[in-house]
Amino acid sequence: MGGGFRVLHLVRPFLSFLPEVQSADRKVPFREKVIYTVISLFIFLVCSQLPLYGIHSTTGADPFYWMRVILASNRGTVMELGITPIVTSGLVMQLLAGSKIIEVDNNVREDRALLNGAQKLLGILIAVGEAVAYVLSGMYGSVGQLGVGNAILIIVQLCFAGIIVICLDELLQKGYGLGSGISLFIATNICESIIWKAFSPTTINSGRGAEFEGAVIALFHLLITRSDKVRALREAFYRQNLPNVTNLLATVLIFLIVIYFQGFRVVLPVRSKNARGQQGSYPIKLFYTSNMPIILQSALVSNLYFISQLLHRKYSGNFLVNLLGKWKESEYSGQSVPVGGLAYYVTAPSSLADMAANPFHALFYLVFMLTACALFSKTWIEVSGSSARDVAKQLKEQQMVMPGHRDSNLQKELNRYIPTAAAFGGMCIGALTVLADFMGAIGSGTGILLAVTIIYQYFETFEKEKASELGLFGF
Amino acid sequence: MALNGGAPPRGSAAAAAANLRRRRTGGSAAAPGGTAGNMLQFYTDDAPGLKISPNVVLVMSIGFIAFVAVLHVMGKLYFVRKD
Repeated sequence: MGGGFRVLHLVRPFLSFLPEVQSADRKVPFREKVIYTVISLFIFLVCSQLPLYGIHSTTGADPFYWMRVILASNRGTVMELGITPIVTSGLVMQLLAGSKIIEVDNNVREDRALLNGAQKLLGILIAVGEAVAYVLSGMYGSVGQLGVGNAILIIVQLCFAGIIVICLDELLQKGYGLGSGISLFIATNICESIIWKAFSPTTINSGRGAEFEGAVIALFHLLITRSDKVRALREAFYRQNLPNVTNLLATVLIFLIVIYFQGFRVVLPVRSKNARGQQGSYPIKLFYTSNMPIILQSALVSNLYFISQLLHRKYSGNFLVNLLGKWKESEYSGQSVPVGGLAYYVTAPSSLADMAANPFHALFYLVFMLTACALFSKTWIEVSGSSARDVAKQLKEQQMVMPGHRDSNLQKELNRYIPTAAAFGGMCIGALTVLADFMGAIGSGTGILLAVTIIYQYFETFEKEKASELGLFGF
Repeated sequence: MALNGGAPPRGSAAAAAANLRRRRTGGSAAAPGGTAGNMLQFYTDDAPGLKISPNVVLVMSIGFIAFVAVLHVMGKLYFVRKD
């Protein structure tokens, strides 16, 4: 345990250099929170359109294609790294702390501060590391082409963008804004891509004359220009290589299903020991861990993709490497897609036809998603301190008891629901992701599930903020 | 909370407080405000460090955007690559 403490204390010298947003010393009014949130979002959106200065080219296969949507990054722009540094460092620190490799006592103020500092420092280091790796690996053209000055400029831009994302996230979380920066940026990025695929006015020539990319626009365009209306409709609904109306409808359907399931919960009655007659309820949601299982699952899969792609490029003949994943460039987009090995089997089938052709792939994918989500969900409640034991402790601290049960029974009673809710809820989330993928929903199943759960949480926050603004809560 | 005996309606302050407190203490299911669980919820305490106010963060970001934009303009005007 001594070693663990030393690790955390290594951060201390750097602590005074890390940017730190002041906590709000007053209650920030709702209006102001909205303004801060909107400005942060605006900055993020501008950053994700602003091209990096000094890059030579961004052509060629994009090794991070799979993670772009989830990590809120855009190729060739200042937001190239997106939220990768901050999410990766958060994940690493949380897992280190959860698995007790780093000992953190959450009741000690200094420990928490050090953990925060460590996470932020790690985030900045990851940003620097990734920026250097990107430039040196020749993603924007080789260093010779760029010139040393430009190469340094690119690294500086990427690092600074990383720091800005960290600061914006902290700003929003410290009570100046609504929610967290990370989820806001993820949700925005996914919604943007959904809206774009639905209404995009760009035309693409795919050999059958110019077609609009946006599904809705294409529907109207086809209906107006084609003389055979039935065939035009069929074309708009089922065209293969571009987003079609079925995809759009699938997206809307998934959206509604998730919102519907969000309401499923078990409500346990609790009662205060001190104030007689004071009753309350403790809801345990079906989606107890919310979107955490898919975040963890997609982090796992994207790392697998990344490693497998790297290995495949270097040693494509090796048997073990092929077992991990075989990659081929797709003819449409020039992206590498997995065609064999483990990487292929954990990827969603691209369409229903593909599913019928490779039923084993579909089955394996389904089983993988369900197990991974259930397991991650169960692990997460332990790691994040929302297991039955922790909840029982919290309730006890608040002098809440369950009527008809003794104090010691509280944990047992909670234990009947919480692990089940976590595992089953994780599985449901996994199943919904698979369903979304099979129906070909826009922006991948993972993306949509993330977006919907985040939007729903925002909706809850809005309600809560409004209620507390009206002074409904008595404090 | 000022509560004195008389049975309050269900789902009143106590319930709300129980809910709220639970949220604040961070079950990831009902974590406050769109956070995806505890992982993304680190910066809630004050740590010693370079204190900056939220407006400075915003100004800094906009300054950065302006800087990159100016770089682009300068690049177009002056450092035209000879290739």
